[in-house]
Amino acid sequence: MKKVIAREKLPELWKSLAAKGPLFLPIQEGPVVLFQPWSEGAEANLDAVNTAVSAKDVFLPREETYLQYRCSGNQLELIPVENAEPVIAFGVHPCDLKAVEMLDKVYLDQEPSDELYRQRREKTTVVGLSCREPDPFCFCNEFGINPADAPGADVMAHLKNGLVLLEARTDKGKALLDQAGDLLQDGSDEKFEAAEVKTADFGLNLEGLPENLKERFEDPVWDELYKSCLGCGVCTYVCPTCYCFDVEDFGHEGEGQRFRCWDSCMYGHFTDMAGGHNPRAGRKERVRQRFMHKLQYYPETFNEIACVGCGRCLRSCPVNLDIVQAIKALGGETVEQR
Amino acid sequence: MAERNVESVNKVREAVSQDLLGGRIDLLLGWEKGHYWWQSRPLFARSEADLEKLAWDSFCAVNLSRYLLEELKDHDKVGVLVKGCDARAFNRLLQDNMVRREQVILYGLPCPGMLDYNRLVEKAGGAPLEITEENGRVIIKVGSGEQEAQRDDLLLDKCKDCRYPDPAVYDQLLFSPQGEKEVTERFKTVEELEEMSAEERFGYWEKELSRCLRCYACRQACPFCSCRECFVEQENPRWQGRAYQPSENFMFHLVRAYHGTGRCIDCGECERSCPVDIPLQELNRKLIKDINELYGDYEAGLDPEQEPPLLTYRPDDPAAFSEK
Repeated sequence: MKKVIAREKLPELWKSLAAKGPLFLPIQEGPVVLFQPWSEGAEANLDAVNTAVSAKDVFLPREETYLQYRCSGNQLELIPVENAEPVIAFGVHPCDLKAVEMLDKVYLDQEPSDELYRQRREKTTVVGLSCREPDPFCFCNEFGINPADAPGADVMAHLKNGLVLLEARTDKGKALLDQAGDLLQDGSDEKFEAAEVKTADFGLNLEGLPENLKERFEDPVWDELYKSCLGCGVCTYVCPTCYCFDVEDFGHEGEGQRFRCWDSCMYGHFTDMAGGHNPRAGRKERVRQRFMHKLQYYPETFNEIACVGCGRCLRSCPVNLDIVQAIKALGGETVEQR
Repeated sequence: MAERNVESVNKVREAVSQDLLGGRIDLLLGWEKGHYWWQSRPLFARSEADLEKLAWDSFCAVNLSRYLLEELKDHDKVGVLVKGCDARAFNRLLQDNMVRREQVILYGLPCPGMLDYNRLVEKAGGAPLEITEENGRVIIKVGSGEQEAQRDDLLLDKCKDCRYPDPAVYDQLLFSPQGEKEVTERFKTVEELEEMSAEERFGYWEKELSRCLRCYACRQACPFCSCRECFVEQENPRWQGRAYQPSENFMFHLVRAYHGTGRCIDCGECERSCPVDIPLQELNRKLIKDINELYGDYEAGLDPEQEPPLLTYRPDDPAAFSEK
């Protein structure tokens, strides 16, 4: 099913799609673009290449309440929170969607699967958006990702000459386009192909890297690489493939809610253990953990490197200690390019 | 510009080489180029080969003084390249007894202000390919041609209202000083916020802080945040929760700002480090302004002998809260 809509008509489309549940879009929030639920008056920005924080927020929200509690006397009442509304994620770029597939492997493809994630994933309809011009930070080509297409999308969207072309690829996708009804016009005459997009070429040679790193836990490279790390959590929070969370309560006077929220292996307390031991006591151990997870542990289990080349850590790390820096330091660079 | 730049890097390298290779310092904290010409990242130099990578250009924004907290544990003597703000950051750490002066050699770099990549993009109307600088002007090359801009218009926000581009403390000054700059707009936004009603102001900060990811980059980059254990991480009592709620956002940012009252050197590293561009410097500047109004002009980090107003007591200190 192929449909088109003029870009100036998009606010009407947002209104119609948001009627049934949260519609996540790249929204201009002051100086930055964030993937957020649209509301009347919000300014969607489909031209932004990458949102400051990745689209994982839709599938694995930074904060997700799943239980409410109330205590009175000896009585404890637990009220599960249902997150049953259908969600639309509109404008997910190929790198971010590829990253969601990596989260799927962690949360869905293993036993037991993660119920909260599964519910959210199943009820979300994803509208992928092809990239027209990459950011200088983009390097998804290095991971074999085609910025012109997001294979896992329910609907694939392209921006073209003042139009948005929408192609439904799954039943969920068809249902979404049906929901928009007359706002969309037939697009069977349009050419639904995005032009090829070339992203930054860092000359990375990733072949064999995970295998190579297996024996390099004590490699001296770690003694240097971590030095500039400030120990903040920017990289993990903007990263689309980081998926660690913590569970905490928010409330007072006997009532409140239990939620899970993003956590970061860059924080000292991440691995605090009862009794006071911390196996990753310093920044070196934590930096090693983060990069080993992306480049060795994840690939060992799931057969692919846990990076999609979205470039967010290259853009946002305050001291430019990013994944490309790490890959190069670990020898994952084509020698001629050195 | 390219030649001038090579010249000045060489001058810096020459100055530090003698000390590093001659054993006067064990480590030099400087900058090297990252992947891009608009990024200069921290360099931890121990050898001549390391010094080959040294950079000193318009993108050396990272404040290196903070690394002393860790590096002085492993080294007897460390050399640091310091811009104006980095030198004030050093004084901050000195005043907090976090570093020892005799363990550090400071190489002073009077600073022209660092450029903001995002402003270059804005000005160029697309991804800039390269820039050349001449006499306060910047020529930005883009795919379609060139754009010219005033250098001052391309500065990082943190550099725009910098009053002291020259290092306040150094062992060796590597270039001629620029002198104190007149700044007119340092408190402009703070004044605008002061004009708002309490509700409006609350709404403003609630909205701005709602973007906070609690990544703590602001704290980690900050030279006044040198506590060995931050209240955020304290378990018992637990001050800071992780919920993305306005109360928790305010808890973190206001407590942090208050903790820096009279101690913040206004380097703006917090704001530069923020991945979602929260105007954190305005919080700090409000408190700087209050300190100035209550206790007389005070510039944190300028003079390590001068105690921060809130860390000292004078019988004639104002008591504005009780007087009202």
